[in-house]
Amino acid sequence: MFRFDPYSPANDADPFDAYKTLRDEYPAFWCEEAGMWVYSRYDDIIAALNDWQTYSSAKGNLVDELPNRAGATLGTTDPPRHDRLRALIQKAMTKRALDVIVEPTRGMCKKHLDALDGRKSFDFVAEYSSKVTVDLLFDLFAMPESGRQTVRDNAVLMVQTDPVTRQKGPEHIGAYEWMAKYANELIAERKKAPGEDLLSNFITAEIDGESLADREIQMTVTTLIMAGVESLSGFLSMMAYNLAEQHDARRALVADPSLIPDAIEESLRFNTSAQRFRRCLTRDVENHGQIMKEGDFIMLVYGSGNRDERRFANPDVFDIARKPRGHLGFGGGVHACLGGALARVATKIAFEEFLGRYPEFERVGETTKWVPSSNFRSPMKLDLAAA
Amino acid sequence: MPKVTYIEHDGRRFEVDLPEGWSLMQGALLNGVTGIEGECGGSCGCATCHLYVDEAFVDRLPEIAEAEDEMLDCTVAQREANSRLGCQIKMTPDLDGLVVRLPEEQS
Repeated sequence: MFRFDPYSPANDADPFDAYKTLRDEYPAFWCEEAGMWVYSRYDDIIAALNDWQTYSSAKGNLVDELPNRAGATLGTTDPPRHDRLRALIQKAMTKRALDVIVEPTRGMCKKHLDALDGRKSFDFVAEYSSKVTVDLLFDLFAMPESGRQTVRDNAVLMVQTDPVTRQKGPEHIGAYEWMAKYANELIAERKKAPGEDLLSNFITAEIDGESLADREIQMTVTTLIMAGVESLSGFLSMMAYNLAEQHDARRALVADPSLIPDAIEESLRFNTSAQRFRRCLTRDVENHGQIMKEGDFIMLVYGSGNRDERRFANPDVFDIARKPRGHLGFGGGVHACLGGALARVATKIAFEEFLGRYPEFERVGETTKWVPSSNFRSPMKLDLAAA
Repeated sequence: MPKVTYIEHDGRRFEVDLPEGWSLMQGALLNGVTGIEGECGGSCGCATCHLYVDEAFVDRLPEIAEAEDEMLDCTVAQREANSRLGCQIKMTPDLDGLVVRLPEEQS
């Protein structure tokens, strides 16, 4: 009997065989471990993302939702409220608006590479990807200097799930509560003295002459910090993981850094950190012979859609010449990742700088410790050795 | 399945069967049409799926919402009266035979 356990450490390490079985044999699968249906084929995921009226986000989008969050953030509301909230932030997150972060980001990358001081071995996560990410997010949100490491530690903890109890544990909820409190203090300060930063603009915004609800502001700011800090460093680390394995691809990028954007897209397809999100059915749906009921949750497995051979030829091959348009690395539809353009710009700069200093590297040790999470997949620690 | 024809700026034509509910942006990305980028993934957040809708179909499309209107002001190619964002137009049987032209540049 086939089982799919999105909580098991084995799944964190390598979910791809299970994904293939899901796609080929159980395209609409009831996952007992998560208590929800699972869509794994590209076309089913796209159809669900296009149809937000049926596949609602309003009951939460995390496979294991955090308490009191659903309905108050961009990712957990449906249009039209979602579109109005998103419009308040979207304009600051377009490729053109982000030109202003290019040079500061390059400076942050150089600073943390300088700190490595030519060392031949280091943890990419602790010493580069998380440091660059935290600097960038703190700069973008104009957050106070102090407490950077604590913010980062809590952001990483709150996205995790317990592999044994298959839910959020007290430490994960505690991290989330810490972040919500941190957000609240930040909001109180910005309300008193708003700046020109993205958070101030959101906090002081009105929709049809009405201020946003306090819970909406608090949960959205909490989520933006979590998503920014955890997902960007998670993706940078996955990209480094891929390049540590794919020597030919890495050497091609070193020889011609203009190929880095293509490698980023392929990395988003091949190993996105955003593996699984959920939706809730607003009506009964029949698909692949299964009858799913109104109120049932559906897990959309982006990481599997990205390896669907029905859409991408030789999906298990990392090919930087592929140009995998339409991949699900940032989800899709109305809820496609708000920070996609930011992630692309930051990743491009981070690797232009990193590959300039470390053209040859490989992973140290046989195994990688993965973040335990029913949603995300990225290494906790990525020890690299430079040649 | 309803059909849509994409005409690239260099004149190449792509006739695509597009499932109902899928957007013109998705139809382009998944069928080798190169004149659409769709960078934001369909959230009306980047103006890189800009297209010009054949006059015969302009009135059959859903109205331009505020968010699309604002993004259309950010297109690289000139905005015209028949300009739309491909991510905001979902295929319906009524749009069968739709023809769209793509600008020279998206970003």
